[in-house]
Amino acid sequence: MAGGPRPMTRLAVTLLCLVVVLGLAAPWLAPHPYAQQIREFTTTAPQPGFPMGLDDLGRDRLSRLLYATRVSVLLAPAAATISILVALLLSALAATPSRTLRWSLSLGNSIFLSLPWIFLFIILRAKLPLNTDPVVSVTLTFALMGVAGWAVPSRAFTASILGMKDAGWLLQARAAGLKPWRIATSHAWPHLWALALAQFRILIPAYVLSEASLGLLGLGVADPMPSWGNLLQDLQHPDVVQANPWTLAPLGLLVFVMICLEVLAPSRKVAL
Amino acid sequence: MSRPVLQYRISARYGATEVLHEVAAALAPAQIVSLVGLSGSGKSTLALALLRLLRYRGGQVTGSIRLEGRELTTLAESEMRAIRGHRIGYVPQSPGLSLNPRLRVQTLLHETWRAHAAGPANHQALLESVQLPADAVFLRKRADELSTGQGQRLLIALALMHSPALLIADEPTSALDAITQASILDLFAKINRERGTAILFISHDLLSVAGISHRVDILHEGHLVESGPPVAVFRTPQHPFTRRLVAAMPRLVLPD
Repeated sequence: MAGGPRPMTRLAVTLLCLVVVLGLAAPWLAPHPYAQQIREFTTTAPQPGFPMGLDDLGRDRLSRLLYATRVSVLLAPAAATISILVALLLSALAATPSRTLRWSLSLGNSIFLSLPWIFLFIILRAKLPLNTDPVVSVTLTFALMGVAGWAVPSRAFTASILGMKDAGWLLQARAAGLKPWRIATSHAWPHLWALALAQFRILIPAYVLSEASLGLLGLGVADPMPSWGNLLQDLQHPDVVQANPWTLAPLGLLVFVMICLEVLAPSRKVAL
Repeated sequence: MSRPVLQYRISARYGATEVLHEVAAALAPAQIVSLVGLSGSGKSTLALALLRLLRYRGGQVTGSIRLEGRELTTLAESEMRAIRGHRIGYVPQSPGLSLNPRLRVQTLLHETWRAHAAGPANHQALLESVQLPADAVFLRKRADELSTGQGQRLLIALALMHSPALLIADEPTSALDAITQASILDLFAKINRERGTAILFISHDLLSVAGISHRVDILHEGHLVESGPPVAVFRTPQHPFTRRLVAAMPRLVLPD
């Protein structure tokens, strides 16, 4: 890009970096452990030591928001990485001469795109015992999201690989006597890598939002571990919001981060 | 006459459609033969058939292809790979499409070198012989940052890297402006003179290739209809198609 990044891009990157640092530093920045219940107060309103007040179980809202940020900034990219890796591995089938394998890839892709994933998360939650370790539940949620999400980037990878079969440079490389493996690693991979980076940037905001939606429904990260999704559950009770407007803070942060991510999302042209 | 570099008699088909009918010709060492025909006459099919790459475009070839006395049609794909780029160089049509846009010049040179050789390589002399710079700035350029003329020169350099006995050039000048076209044609003539490389030059443009060719083969609807020195083809065309081709050549008419 000529003239360096645009000011909006620079601003979005700076603000996102700040959010990431806040999230990663949660264990040091948070004034209280996220699960600690403090029962000595009669009110949940903000007060000295608890700038955002407490939730209905007496836990510090600021600490929980910082830890929730940590969950999202760590796990959304992790889930996106899983999706990209699974998609790259499976999309390689598009390069095989076997018609059956290519057909299976296409079918698997269509099935994964059309499954109602929300039910799978409901089943997962139902199968997990109530006393499941929060770390296990959070890992499972994001891993499942990552695996389930392979189909979208895979469609882009498959289209790209199929397009390469007719590419003039492929013919040139073959005519130069290059072995298929060298053609794949030195000629085809740079194209897929660029596409993978673009898809990665598209998936991160999608997963941040997915976690929030699942959390709101109680299907995502399990209590007591905070996530942006399960912190949003408080918004279902208008009286709680009215009593303490800081309840809206997770929503504000989520929208803020989503705007920054959308500013950075690759243009449609690059993504496909 | 010494042993021909290339001698072939082939037919080619896509499914049920035969596009080359028993096309037969030979190239002597250091000879430039131009294969001229309209688009759709089967020229590019012939180029890919000789390299045994036609199956990647969905075609089948029957017949015989002898390169330096060796029959190619019975070779395994791995044996063909050792010949492509090594004994036969291929210069494709459009640098915009035929150079991988994501690769740098040095990567293209390196990969082409590694296909048939080991160890370090110095490509300076090669790049100079096709009138390309060999400095670090140029080597770090990506293929899509080159001009069409530079791209075509690079494609020629890649094809020449392992000093093949035969160069097959498929319309290597048709994407170029008149001046660049003339300089690329000169380059082919120079390569032929200095290295003794036999060249099969495929073109739709009889006039532009006549000057550098030792022989012109005319391909019409999959048949080789005429073959001879350029002067004979121009002066006394035999086949009706050749007559039409010669009659259609532009003539320079200046006002008085």
